[in-house]
Amino acid sequence: MSLMGSRVNDYESHEDIPTQKYFHESTYVKLFDLLGVYRPDEISCRFSSFHHHYDDRFANDTLPYEQVIPHLKALMQTYLSTMSAIGVETWIMHGTLLAWWWNEKIFPWDNDLDVQISEPAIHILAKSFNMTQHHFDLPSVEGGRNYMLDVNPYYVVQSTEDKLNMIDARWIDMSSGLFIDITAVRKDEERRRKGNPEALRCKDRHRYHASEIFPLRDSYFEDVPVKVPYAYTELLKREYGSKALAQTEFSDHRFNEHTKIWEAMG
Amino acid sequence: MATHDADPRNVDSDDVEKSSRAPSSSRPLIDSARNEWQSHSHSHIAHPPSSNDAHNTPQGMQMIQSLASAPRFRRYVIIYPAILFLGLLGWWIAVTPRLQEQRSLLFSLDPASKDKFGGWFGTNSPPRFDYLIQIRNLDQALVPLALPEGDKDQSQRRRRLIVIGDVHGCKDELLQLLKKVSFAPADGDHLIFAGDLISKGPDSPGVVDLARKHSASCVRGNHEDRSLLLRHQLVASNTLDKEDADDGSFTAKEQRERALARSLNEEQARWLETCPVILDVGSIPGMGHVVVAHAGLVPGVELEKQDPATVMNMRVIDLDTHVPSWDGKGVKWVKIFNKHQSLIASKNKASSDNVSQTMTVIYGHDADSSLSIRPYTKGLDSGCVKGGKLTAMIIEDGGKQNIVQVKCRDYRKEK
Repeated sequence: MSLMGSRVNDYESHEDIPTQKYFHESTYVKLFDLLGVYRPDEISCRFSSFHHHYDDRFANDTLPYEQVIPHLKALMQTYLSTMSAIGVETWIMHGTLLAWWWNEKIFPWDNDLDVQISEPAIHILAKSFNMTQHHFDLPSVEGGRNYMLDVNPYYVVQSTEDKLNMIDARWIDMSSGLFIDITAVRKDEERRRKGNPEALRCKDRHRYHASEIFPLRDSYFEDVPVKVPYAYTELLKREYGSKALAQTEFSDHRFNEHTKIWEAMG
Repeated sequence: MATHDADPRNVDSDDVEKSSRAPSSSRPLIDSARNEWQSHSHSHIAHPPSSNDAHNTPQGMQMIQSLASAPRFRRYVIIYPAILFLGLLGWWIAVTPRLQEQRSLLFSLDPASKDKFGGWFGTNSPPRFDYLIQIRNLDQALVPLALPEGDKDQSQRRRRLIVIGDVHGCKDELLQLLKKVSFAPADGDHLIFAGDLISKGPDSPGVVDLARKHSASCVRGNHEDRSLLLRHQLVASNTLDKEDADDGSFTAKEQRERALARSLNEEQARWLETCPVILDVGSIPGMGHVVVAHAGLVPGVELEKQDPATVMNMRVIDLDTHVPSWDGKGVKWVKIFNKHQSLIASKNKASSDNVSQTMTVIYGHDADSSLSIRPYTKGLDSGCVKGGKLTAMIIEDGGKQNIVQVKCRDYRKEK
């Protein structure tokens, strides 16, 4: 735990905000991020070098559709078991949490995964595990696969103004370029000063109360142990609205109430 | 006013009106001034505004007089619309919102609405959690019986269930309450706690030990949930026996919760962990299916499929999607739950025993609404730890129910 004691400088002032983006998916993403515009997948494919859910250091083409989900499953399973092995607390959030809530499985139409870690944890990852590669022998993959933990060096910049570096780290499948976005949940000093002692935030501007996330619950995702935030339904409702927990049709898929599986429509 | 009218010169109200309006009339004003106010000082103190009253009252009087002396037709023209208006106003204020609420509750429960909104909460595959029991059934040997025929068969032992609302560590009050209900475990009494035995109050471990001593049943409240999760985390990180560093890494709330989790010993924590999210009491003669859940249930969702965090925390429900909320604005879950059960009951009216088809939920959690007894929901949290009352609901053979309460000290002040 000596790692937690060594405090990294916090960069808060305006001059400290980086002008460079660390993680590169495509030229397109940069432009649209700066404009603050929502980016639909179709356009991204047309403009980008290839795809914003693939890290272009490790691949130059997207996977065939039917291979995406098996790759994401392995990505999530290897990430969770690695974090568990090195003792770093992590939990699922955003679309991944919603997918878990429906049936403890990745949405069949998904191509990204979101997890969060605590502020001390990002320091540990940066100090001791940055750029480490991890080999996994996977049951149906010949020769196994290599994964890499890549910490964004700008993770030390606390400010949400650093819009180019909202993601603090990535767990990357080096065979396909698919990755998990890792975001650190930090103390929101500004809101704490204003009398909200539980305020937390991420660089991607999501805000939380400590008691909504902690204590974490132990559940399962794609058949491996996973941690989920304490008030999962409340967080999902705030992020996606009530309908996301009720409607059984999403993205050309229908939820089968009996088999509890999302089935492609049409 | 009486003294004013007593003056003979003021009897004619028209005269006064003129003189007050036009001071330069036939007589100088000074003539009407008298010294009587000095001898009747008390009654005359209030005199000055009388010039105003003298100005208005006669007009009003006149109107009423003329109305009274007018033909009936004129009276009715005024009186009947007034009655009609008041009636409509009353309807609008008191009745319409209730009708509207009933309509919206019915609409919310209409299966056609489910398709309209694309689905209802509760269709997902319910999440699995470690160290958490969703449902347990109460031992049927403890459930109250039907009343013996003719009330003569006394050979059968009586059974009572005593369900207790949020204790929150108020052990003294719990002991008083047990005394007040003449709790007799050897004589067919069984205790059930509706969750939140611990936290906030003076002696959480003591309350758990008392519950264990009496082999009570319980459900998992949001405070047990947080405390047990936190305790697992402390055990996993090997920090259960360590003191937290006082370096500001924990908020005041976190510090309190961590201290509570550490104050529970292994046996107490293990016992609390046996408390299910939902306790299925089973069928009680005269009451139908009875369950205990800490915060509430979403109507129309099977017990196995109820979302556990929701059952321990919910307060309101969204009428369109049935998605529950832990706080905030919305319709209280008990309203829609009671409507749902009454619909079931009316559907089964034809059958001889329509009660057995319905479900009654005994719950706690909602201290703001205090004791809340409705046909199919029984809210027992009456805010003991905040200086309110500790409530027990006694269910006897035949489904007869009683509420017994004791007053509590306000433990918020003692921190």
